[in-house]
Amino acid sequence: MHKVLILGNPNVGKSTLFNSLTKSNEHTGNFHGVTVEEKHKILKYNNQEFDIVDLPGMYSLNSFSYEEEVAKNELLSLNATRVMLADANSLRKNLYLCLQLDELNLDYILLINNHDYFLKHKNKLNINKLKEFNCCEIINAKKIKLENFLKILKNNKKTSKKSKNNNYLLQFIKKIKDKYNLSEEKIIKALNGINDNLTDEQHSFIKSFLPEVIKARYDYIDCILQDVLFINNDFVYGASKADKFLLKPTVMTIGFLITFLLSIYLIFFLIGPWLSDALNVIFQFVIVNPFMNFLYLITDNVWLIQFFSSGVFSSVGTILSFLPQVCLLFIFLTMLEDSGIISRMSYVFDDFLSIFGLNGKAIYIMLLGFGCNTMSTMVARNMSDKNMKIKTALLNPYISCMARLPVLVIIASAFFGAKSYFVITGLYLLGITVALILGGILNKTILKTKSNELLLEFAPIRPLDFKHIWQVGKVNAFDMLKRIFVIVLSVGVIVWCLTHTMFNLSYTENMSESILFVLADKFSFIFAPIGLGSAGIICALIVGVMAKELIVSTFSITNNVTSNTALIASLTSATSVISFTLPSAVSFLIFSLLYCPCASNLAVLKKETTKFYMWFAVISQFTIAYLLSFVVYQSMTRGLSIGILISIVIFMIMFSLILIAKKIKSKKISCLFCKKNCK
Amino acid sequence: MNLFEAKLNANCIIKAVEVEDEKTKIRLMELGLIVGTRLVVKYKSIMKKTLIIFFNSSCFTLKDNLAKKIVVNYA
Repeated sequence: MHKVLILGNPNVGKSTLFNSLTKSNEHTGNFHGVTVEEKHKILKYNNQEFDIVDLPGMYSLNSFSYEEEVAKNELLSLNATRVMLADANSLRKNLYLCLQLDELNLDYILLINNHDYFLKHKNKLNINKLKEFNCCEIINAKKIKLENFLKILKNNKKTSKKSKNNNYLLQFIKKIKDKYNLSEEKIIKALNGINDNLTDEQHSFIKSFLPEVIKARYDYIDCILQDVLFINNDFVYGASKADKFLLKPTVMTIGFLITFLLSIYLIFFLIGPWLSDALNVIFQFVIVNPFMNFLYLITDNVWLIQFFSSGVFSSVGTILSFLPQVCLLFIFLTMLEDSGIISRMSYVFDDFLSIFGLNGKAIYIMLLGFGCNTMSTMVARNMSDKNMKIKTALLNPYISCMARLPVLVIIASAFFGAKSYFVITGLYLLGITVALILGGILNKTILKTKSNELLLEFAPIRPLDFKHIWQVGKVNAFDMLKRIFVIVLSVGVIVWCLTHTMFNLSYTENMSESILFVLADKFSFIFAPIGLGSAGIICALIVGVMAKELIVSTFSITNNVTSNTALIASLTSATSVISFTLPSAVSFLIFSLLYCPCASNLAVLKKETTKFYMWFAVISQFTIAYLLSFVVYQSMTRGLSIGILISIVIFMIMFSLILIAKKIKSKKISCLFCKKNCK
Repeated sequence: MNLFEAKLNANCIIKAVEVEDEKTKIRLMELGLIVGTRLVVKYKSIMKKTLIIFFNSSCFTLKDNLAKKIVVNYA
C-alpha cells in the first residue's frame, strides 16, 4: 500500500485537500488547530491502494504542542510520499518547514494552495523560478481530483531528489563538532527537534545555536524568494478592512450576543419548529400510521402492538423531529467557523477568559461544545498549557450540546409556552456561567494556569461557501439519523422492555411494577429533595448518562406518545406516567443541563486527562447540578427566603471546601487542624 | 522600548527577543519574529493585555507577558 502524508502549516487547507481526494467529510474550518489527530482513508485507483493521511498542522519540527508532536512522528515514517501543502499567501513561513525537511533529507512535493486569493491582492509568484529549488505545483485544494493529484505526484517524484543545499548550517555544525565528536546527521536531527541518543549536555549545547540557525534559515529562504515572490506592500494575510470595526471589544461583544440570541430564536422558535412539525407529519403519515394500521390488520397481540407503538416509534419519533434544529445549529456554527471570525473572537475575549485561567482559544472549543461536547473535549488538547487543557476539557460538558437540545425545548415549551425562548437562552447562559465560575475556582486551587500566552495566527475573513455549509448540514443530518436509528432505537427498545417487564419476566402494562421502575424507585430518596423523586424521571436521568437524547426518548416511551406535540401535552398532565409541576420542571431543566457528561464524553475525558479528572467531572457536575436544582426547587416550593438561606449555607460549605482544596494543593493540610504557626 | 509600549500603527524594528521560556522564544523566531524584523502594532485589547501585530505579511496575537520581552526600535 502506498502511503501519502498531507502535511503543512495550520489552516493551509490540508483537511480540505483530504476531503477532495477521498470524498470524505472531515471537519474543516477557517481557524488554526481544527485537526488534532491524524486521519486515514484507504483508496483504490488503477489497482493500486493508497493510504491518504491528513496530519494536524505544524509550523516547525520543534514541536510546540501535542498535535505538532503527532504530525512530526508520522511524517518521519520512511515509506511515505510526503505532500507539503503551503499557502501562497504565507509562503515564506511555510518554506521554513520545507527547509527542515530538506535538512533531514526527507523527500516531499510542495503544493501551493490559495493562489487565487494571493493574485487577487496584486501579489505575484514566479512558480518556474521556485521549481529550481523545489518540485512544486499550484493546486486548488477544494477542486482537485484524485486522478490529477496522483498525476502530480508521479510527475514530481522523479525530480524530488534534488540536491539539497545545507551550506547555511555548516558553520554551526563545525562549531558543535569542535566541542563534541558527533556525526553531522545527529547534529542536524538535534537542530530539528529530534534527540538521537544525545546527552542532556550535548542537546542543550546544540539547542543554544537555534536562534542563529533560525536566522540563517530565514536568510536562505529570503534569498530563494528574492526572484520568486513579489508581495504588494499593503498586503497582510489574515488582516481585513473589517478588523477596524470587528476588533473593537464593544462591537464584537454586542455583535456576538445579538448573533447568539438571534440564532437561538431562528433555530428554536422560527424556522426550526416549522421544519420539525413538517418532519413530524411526514413521519406520522408515511411511516407510523401505515405500519400501525397494517399491524392492527394482521394481529391483535397487545405486546407486539405496544412494542412497536411505544417502544420503537415513541423512542425514534420525538427525537427525529429535532433533526432540523440540530442541522441548523451546526450550519450556524460552520458559518461562524468558515467566516474567520473565531480568531477575532479569541483575541477580543482573551483578556476576559484569562480571569478564569483560560485563553482566547477556549472560545473556539466552547463554540464546538454547542454542537458536541465530545468533539470539543478532544480539541482542548491543542492548548499549550497542561493545566489549561485539563481545565478546558472539564468545563466543556457544562456547555449545552445538541443532544440536550430536545430536553430543553420539550420541557420549556410544556411549561413556559411563548416565554420558552427566554428560558432556553437563560439555560445556555447558565451553562456558560457555571463553566466560567468553576474555571475561576479551579484556576485558584488545583489547576493553576502556568502560562496563558495566546500566540495565534489570524485567519482571513472569507465569504461563506454555501456548498460547504450545505455539506456540513447534510453530514450532521446523516450523523444524527445514524445516532437515532442505532443508539436511540436500540436503547429505546431495551428501556421499553425493562419498563414493561416484571422481575418474574412476565409482561406488565403497569410500569410501577417493572424492573426499571422498581430499581429507580430505590434512588427516589436522593432525588425527592429536588422534586425529581418519581421513578420515571430517575429512569430518564440514568438512561441519559449514555446519551442525552435518550432522556426525551424515555419520556416518550413511558408516556406512550410518538410526537413532540403529544409529549409536551403529556408532561403537564397529572395522569401521565411522567409529569412535572412548574418547580420540578425548572429543577429538571437545570439538573439535566448540568448533571453529568455523556458516556462518550467521559471516555474522551479519561483519554485526554486522567481517570482522576474523569471522576472529578462526574462528581463535581452531579454536585453542582444537585445544589442548584435544590436551591431553585426549595425556593419555588417553600419561598424565596428559605432558598436564600440554603444558598448562603451552600456557599459557605463550598468556600470552606475551596480553602481545603487550596491547602491540600500547597501541602498545608496538617496546619488546618493545629494551632501552631508551622509553615 | 518594549513592544507593548510601542505606539499603535507605528513601524518598529525588533532589537531583541528576550522571552524567559526558551520554547516560546524559539517558536516566535520560527514564525519569523527575529531580530531585525519590521513590524506594526495595530490593536490593543480591552484590558490592554493582548496585542495584534503585523509582520512579514502575517498577523498574530501576542500577550503582554510575551510582548514586554520584545525590545523594539522605531523604524
